[in-house]
Amino acid sequence: MRIAAIGFCLFALIGCERDRRELRPAPTRLAIFKDAARESDLQPGGVHSEPQVQNPYSGNAYAISEGQRLFSWYNCAGCHANGGGGMGPPLIKDQWTYGGQPANLFDTIVKGRPNGMPSWGGRIPEYQVWQLVAYIRSLNHEEPVTATPPRSDHIQQDSGTLMNKPGGGTR
Amino acid sequence: MSFSKSRILGCVFVFCAPALAQIQNQAEDGQWPMAAKNFASTRFSALDQINAANVGTLKVAWTFSTGLTRGQEAAPLVVNNTMYVVTPWPNLLYALDLTQPGAPVKWTYSPHPSASAQGVACCDVVNRGAAYFNGRIYYNTLDMHTVAVDAVTGKEVWKTTLGDINSGESMTMAPLVAKGRVIVGNSGGELGVRGWLAGLDAATGAIAWRAYAAGPDKDVLIGPNFKPFYQADRAEDLGTKTWPGESWKIGGGGGWGWISYDPDLDLIYYGTANPGPWNSEQRPGDNKWTCTLFARRPENGEAIWAYQLNPHDEQDYDGVNENILVDLTIGGRLRKVLLHPDRNARMYVIDRATGEVLSAEPFAHQNTTESVDLKTGRIKTVPAKGTGFKTVRDICPAAPGGKDWQPSSFSPQTGLMYIPHNNLCMEFEGVQANYIAGTPYVGANVRMYPGPGGHRGEVSAWDPVNAKTIWTAKEMFPAWSGTVVTAGGLLFYGTMDGWFKAVDARNGRLLWQFKTGSGIIGQPVTYKGPDGKQYMAVLSGVGGWAGAVVSGGLNAKDGTAALGFANAMADLPKYTTKGGTLYVFSLP
Amino acid sequence: MIHQSAIDAAGRQAAQIQGLFWFFIVLLGGIFLIVVALMLGPLFCRHRGLDREPLEQTHTPSIETERKLTHRVGWATGLTVLILLGLVVLSVSTGRSISGGNPPANALTVEIVGNQWWWYIRYLNEDASRVLVTANEMHIPIGRPIVIRGSSHDVIHSFWIPNLHGKRDLIPSHTTTEWFQADHEGRYRGQCAEFCGLQHAHMALWVVAETPAQFDSWMDLQLRPAPAPSDAVKQKGQRIFLDHACVLCHAIRGTTAAAEQAPDLTHLASRSTIGAGTLPNTRGNLADWIADPQNSKPGNHMATVALSREDMPPLLTYLESLK
Repeated sequence: MRIAAIGFCLFALIGCERDRRELRPAPTRLAIFKDAARESDLQPGGVHSEPQVQNPYSGNAYAISEGQRLFSWYNCAGCHANGGGGMGPPLIKDQWTYGGQPANLFDTIVKGRPNGMPSWGGRIPEYQVWQLVAYIRSLNHEEPVTATPPRSDHIQQDSGTLMNKPGGGTR
Repeated sequence: MSFSKSRILGCVFVFCAPALAQIQNQAEDGQWPMAAKNFASTRFSALDQINAANVGTLKVAWTFSTGLTRGQEAAPLVVNNTMYVVTPWPNLLYALDLTQPGAPVKWTYSPHPSASAQGVACCDVVNRGAAYFNGRIYYNTLDMHTVAVDAVTGKEVWKTTLGDINSGESMTMAPLVAKGRVIVGNSGGELGVRGWLAGLDAATGAIAWRAYAAGPDKDVLIGPNFKPFYQADRAEDLGTKTWPGESWKIGGGGGWGWISYDPDLDLIYYGTANPGPWNSEQRPGDNKWTCTLFARRPENGEAIWAYQLNPHDEQDYDGVNENILVDLTIGGRLRKVLLHPDRNARMYVIDRATGEVLSAEPFAHQNTTESVDLKTGRIKTVPAKGTGFKTVRDICPAAPGGKDWQPSSFSPQTGLMYIPHNNLCMEFEGVQANYIAGTPYVGANVRMYPGPGGHRGEVSAWDPVNAKTIWTAKEMFPAWSGTVVTAGGLLFYGTMDGWFKAVDARNGRLLWQFKTGSGIIGQPVTYKGPDGKQYMAVLSGVGGWAGAVVSGGLNAKDGTAALGFANAMADLPKYTTKGGTLYVFSLP
Repeated sequence: MIHQSAIDAAGRQAAQIQGLFWFFIVLLGGIFLIVVALMLGPLFCRHRGLDREPLEQTHTPSIETERKLTHRVGWATGLTVLILLGLVVLSVSTGRSISGGNPPANALTVEIVGNQWWWYIRYLNEDASRVLVTANEMHIPIGRPIVIRGSSHDVIHSFWIPNLHGKRDLIPSHTTTEWFQADHEGRYRGQCAEFCGLQHAHMALWVVAETPAQFDSWMDLQLRPAPAPSDAVKQKGQRIFLDHACVLCHAIRGTTAAAEQAPDLTHLASRSTIGAGTLPNTRGNLADWIADPQNSKPGNHMATVALSREDMPPLLTYLESLK
């Protein structure tokens, strides 16, 4: 009888975790992720007006030039060339598959993306990811011209093809 | 056929009879069991129902949309009235029933390759096709698997893992099945991958042997039977001694190209890819055995001879192009040779039993090499066109070479070789290449542009005995598709702006063309249908390295995109969009 | 032996520069003393002429005095010109003798590439498998000419080992050459001699000149890949190295790390300093360097990698084993 009772209790305990219903979630679980980098323009129930996460290094010339250095050191240029793409998609463009806001770019670099973008999280320190984000944004004229690094010296282009418009930037 | 024409044809046949006799030991059955049609890789079909007189009436018989729009490089196979088409990633295998009108899909096999593999494919997520053997279809997936699929039911028989995409490798090549071995090789010379060629047991999928392109002799499968023709290739462990430090472990040399087989000599022939990184100053030494032609035994992979085409390669001239096996009369005697149109724009005629180079004349415009010393085998490069930590301009041919993977064909009827090739030059700026596993290891900013003449491609007919071009057809874009030549006296190929063309094999005159939906980079094939009619089939869908501007949606304003190809192909989007349709043609 | 001094020559080129230096010092110093004496002299000795000539006549020197003065100034000027010409000839000929001509055939060629702010060193060799890449510390055999082929990856640096030779600029996309020979064993400190950014002051290079036999055994050791970790702690340390950002920039031959943007660490423990001469190579300094590279060399390009307290000791033990 006692053994059966103990056995029954043990049996009941196994089901506890699986069948728990959190009808009143803890306050920490109520936080709505406003920081999550949106990758869709659709927001059911109406569009929020809160701003996206900003890049702490936006507008900082040193950070953007560090981003330029890291872009080639970490082989981003190997897949994305000098912004035109190759093995990977171009980084100078208007249509961003996973969003072109700083928070989206941060996510792309850290998490990787399903169709071949590697996941750099755990390797590149966070501050360097933001530096890379700042550089990529500067390629698309989203950073102040005064902070954007001067044109790359790599292979001079004809005046007709692009890369070296006066005033910096590489669009 | 009129009386005079048959007389001419008769003379041609009599004249070429010896060559014809040597090649055609495989009787024409109207099938296409492997990408190159046969072990000698001639891509020649003895079907002659479609000929110069009636090709003008060729019309679309049916089409099939693969549902995918990346580069379509495969050769459709036709065996037992079924057509097999391999697509780019996700590497579906379609079996089409040719006995039914409209060739409906019998079954589809989906290997579910990892989507992340797309991130380590240097030159679009292409696949060059499958091979049929003994009731099964064998082909490779981008994420390093070789699969065997039952040709009738479409069920997977075995799937073998050959490597890991995290080291930067991938597979795009069409296997060859010889002597019960499925022979496959990896890609990744641009990602610091260690290249190899492997032989799998066709029945079980077990890896029977793997021959690396660099490393100690035991890894390269160089043993007591290795007898290279040239003295300089005979020392021990050249696969490590010609590299600094351990750089051979990330040195490239993959077997991603074409393989031929001579059943009499029992040798498979293939070439290894370029060494990595492209910046050659980071890897002093000859970098053996990259850019090397190997002859190996298919059963155990042991090397019998080897010849390094481009020691210490400085322009990305992979050695992977096809080796067409023919018997030619050279210097008065009949020689068993292979014809190898290399990336360095030279046509190598090499004795396939011994590895002796008989000639190596340029088949396209080039300024990077002066000559090949036939006594020592060593190629003499032009120092001014050598690359490194500097900028060099006007290097011809550009990195895709005088000819890239796009395969040529050989007609025993005309005795000519038909070469689809490029006319491109480049500027090359060497920069520091940094090795991070799974990412590109190149070290160069490159811009390509059209070569002399302004046209970017050519299809030419080459006389291998006299080493000269007989005729050539200029193309606006690189001639990136394969070729097929038939006994009907026709050469078929496709252009990157979508035209599928038939030209007279003797003189290059355009006899027929059809505009398909997208640029053609696939390999055309011809077969006899169940109704006895001859059909032509080709995949239309631009991409590959040359078409990356379209298939990858690149921004050509950065000329260095796609390893420099974007600069040369910035206008391609005006002429074609992406596609993925199979076209099959026949006479009315 | 002074480790970084242009007047403590250890090789023939430096000896020539040193000789020229002392010659200039002695000659010009002597001339300086003479000139000073001639200037001070009149202040202290009484001029005879003043006694004899009346005051109203001395502010206009006599013709004889004029002639004497012209004579003396003329001689002095002529002598100065001759001396200066002589010094120019001497200087030019010394310069040509230390940098001109081809080095003898048995020269050892070393490629030096300046980076912000460390030295990439590559020993060249006809035999590709004996090409050695290292950083920041160079060993050379005495009595053998060393050819330096210099370039830079980023900005202009300057290669200067005062005990052995003069300065040679390292210019991006350009190769400069110099050759020198060490004749005395010793450890010589070199310095970047062209302002190259934030940490120009902390870009030092150690050159160890040793006997040919010692050099050969050093070379053989350096050519070997790093030994496999011999115990669990070192294995863990290697694992930490391979799992973090380290592999994005550093190479350790014998492991899968083969990056080249930062100094090669294959034989890190055989070097006497870290950070290009910034800190002595001790366990404590290594820990400080890895934990916060910006502390000792702010602005340098090493990433600050967050390592946990448990990860640092095994990593240090592993790095210390890379002899």
